[in-house]
Amino acid sequence: MIEKAGYLPGLADDAVDWQTLRFGGNDNPLEIAVPVLTDAQMKALAGRVRAASRERLKSLTLAQIIGIIDAAVARLLDRSDPVRRKAEEILPIVTGYDAEMIRLGLTGYLKTFRKSELQKFAAEDFANPLILDDFQPMPKGGFARAFGPDVLAHIWAGNVPGLPVWSLVSGLLVKAGNIGKVPSAEPLFAGWFAQVLSEVAPGIADCFAVVWWKGGDTDREEALLRESDAVLAYGGNESLAAIRDRVPVTTRFLPYGHKVSFGAISRTALDTRKAKDTAHQAAYDVIRYDQQGCYSPHVFFVERGGRVSPGDFAQYLAHELDTFEKKYPRRALSISEARDIAAWRHGEEVRSFAGENRGLIGNPDNAWSVAFVDGDEDLSPSGLNRTIKVVTVDALSDIVPRIAPYKRLLQTVGIAAPPAELYSLSAALGRAGVTRICALGHMTAPEAGWHHDGRFNLLDLVTITEIERSAETAADTYAPYAD
Amino acid sequence: MNFTDKVVLVTGASRGIGAAIARAFAAEGASVAVNYLQNAEAAEAVVAACTEAGGDASSFRADVTDSDAVPALVDDVLETFGKIDVLVNNAFRPYKFDPENRRMFWELDWSHYQAQIDGALRSAHGLCKAVLPDMRRRAEGAIVNIATDLVARPTIPYHDYTTAKAALIGFSRNLAVETGPLGIRVNCVAPGLVYPTEGSKDTRESVKDMITAQTPLGRIATPEDITGPVLFLASPWSGFMTGQTLYVDGGLVMS
Repeated sequence: MIEKAGYLPGLADDAVDWQTLRFGGNDNPLEIAVPVLTDAQMKALAGRVRAASRERLKSLTLAQIIGIIDAAVARLLDRSDPVRRKAEEILPIVTGYDAEMIRLGLTGYLKTFRKSELQKFAAEDFANPLILDDFQPMPKGGFARAFGPDVLAHIWAGNVPGLPVWSLVSGLLVKAGNIGKVPSAEPLFAGWFAQVLSEVAPGIADCFAVVWWKGGDTDREEALLRESDAVLAYGGNESLAAIRDRVPVTTRFLPYGHKVSFGAISRTALDTRKAKDTAHQAAYDVIRYDQQGCYSPHVFFVERGGRVSPGDFAQYLAHELDTFEKKYPRRALSISEARDIAAWRHGEEVRSFAGENRGLIGNPDNAWSVAFVDGDEDLSPSGLNRTIKVVTVDALSDIVPRIAPYKRLLQTVGIAAPPAELYSLSAALGRAGVTRICALGHMTAPEAGWHHDGRFNLLDLVTITEIERSAETAADTYAPYAD
Repeated sequence: MNFTDKVVLVTGASRGIGAAIARAFAAEGASVAVNYLQNAEAAEAVVAACTEAGGDASSFRADVTDSDAVPALVDDVLETFGKIDVLVNNAFRPYKFDPENRRMFWELDWSHYQAQIDGALRSAHGLCKAVLPDMRRRAEGAIVNIATDLVARPTIPYHDYTTAKAALIGFSRNLAVETGPLGIRVNCVAPGLVYPTEGSKDTRESVKDMITAQTPLGRIATPEDITGPVLFLASPWSGFMTGQTLYVDGGLVMS
């Protein structure tokens, strides 16, 4: 099977060089053809997107754009739609994730882009979303209007299917022309989404493009960066720093780096009735996309003093992970991923020899690992792919110093705690750098309109043009009706 | 069924059903801890038979109704084999299955019941409690408790014995609920009359004929008949079964 990646308005297939990426191994071979553009083609593409975004997208109202995205998402939510069927068939091969997990994940994720959710999304960032359509009166006097960039570049990373839709939708909502670069690990979904958009709204078919280049191909990257008014980039700090160095100084650069997330479980969530459900929710956060997301937990801090002890909780968690393995099996690991897990297990094992207060549940054959520590232990990254550590704390507030070393990297905390504790702990976590707090079991499914890494998804993209009160007043004096 | 690298502790394994169970596990490659109370010679014979069958085995003397002896027994087995994957609670207080001379209800006092409850339930309780820490560490394990089909159909009312075994089934179901979320399964095998065993060696031919006549499969169970269901409940083949009781009596009881 050969599948073409990308979405290149104005470029005929035979005018472009294609490279082949191979997936699926021997059982289920899949070839993906990815486009390799020349500098001139990239420049022409950016010019086309720029012109179309100025002419077409910027003349649409926000409500019209929301209507278009809603129609595209409705198609992708429809399991009989050919693109949706293709996604369900091909994404498990490309990413290795369990097909059921992908199917449910896609639906849960795409649901957050329906019309009602998109309206909330816009209202999150703009007190008056009409500011995207026309000048709006401001409380301080005068008027203001928000303008999105003509060309917004997206440099996507990772292999969680569908993630590019986030920033692509953000760009469309602020009426930006969008050119996204897909990662080799999952090069397809963004192109399919663009294709569906162009089918439901042919009028804006030139307002976005999806391209590819091999990681490290700085020439191609620079060709896009030169043409962009703003750049959104995802990835590790090193690659982000490299991109930042190539972004022209007048271009807005919005980096989203690697993040670390964790869970916090109060003793009240660990009575003999609730403990099992708590472990189930916690395990779900671990198995979703095999901890590949920035919102995936690496550690669960568990409070002492519940009817079910943190050590017992670790055992419940282990069994839940074992049970999930039957429902949503872990994907096949690369050699280096397997090595990372082995190294993590080895490290935990060696330390468990040194002290009675540590242990490792499960054996190397299991598709999961649970380490347990009853003692002072800071937050630390897991071995990924369903490796998790349970760390005992006397009180949830004890977590705060243990996460301090990771201040710049913190993102999501999944919490199971009663209201008073939720709010007091959240304040401390926020000060410590955490930007998102959610229920256990919801860590990998941020709600619509969340502020990714504590930033404003839409507001960060626009520039505000203000008509000050003086201009408004002065204009009156030049009016033909002036007395 | 492959039990290679699996460690199985069988209580009361020097004779009868227990010995057959030990040999059957060994034949599938398991390392078997043969627990016995009195007859060291018989236990050694079972160990030898296990080794010959292709497994590994050691004998462990302990009174499983003794609360102090049980943790020591489990520690010994862990010391020898490193872990315990399967526990088979087979031991019970010696009992004479003699339909013609059994004690009637008004001839029994509480001490008779207590003796059987100690034999079946106290021993299972102590052993389950003692092996759980090791099983929980690995988030897996299987416990098989040997009951009797008399619980479902008291053809002969052996009040004290059957009541204790009924309690063992109730105990097993509750434990199954508690340990299910930890990946540990608990099930029972309920044999009908098994011949020959120490308890049934005096059972008269006429009684066996009566039972045989009512048994769809038309005979009395042998110790080897019990081993298959025990191994099954200890294996991943029954990985989604817990809290169950399998009746192994040729169809005498159907539930």
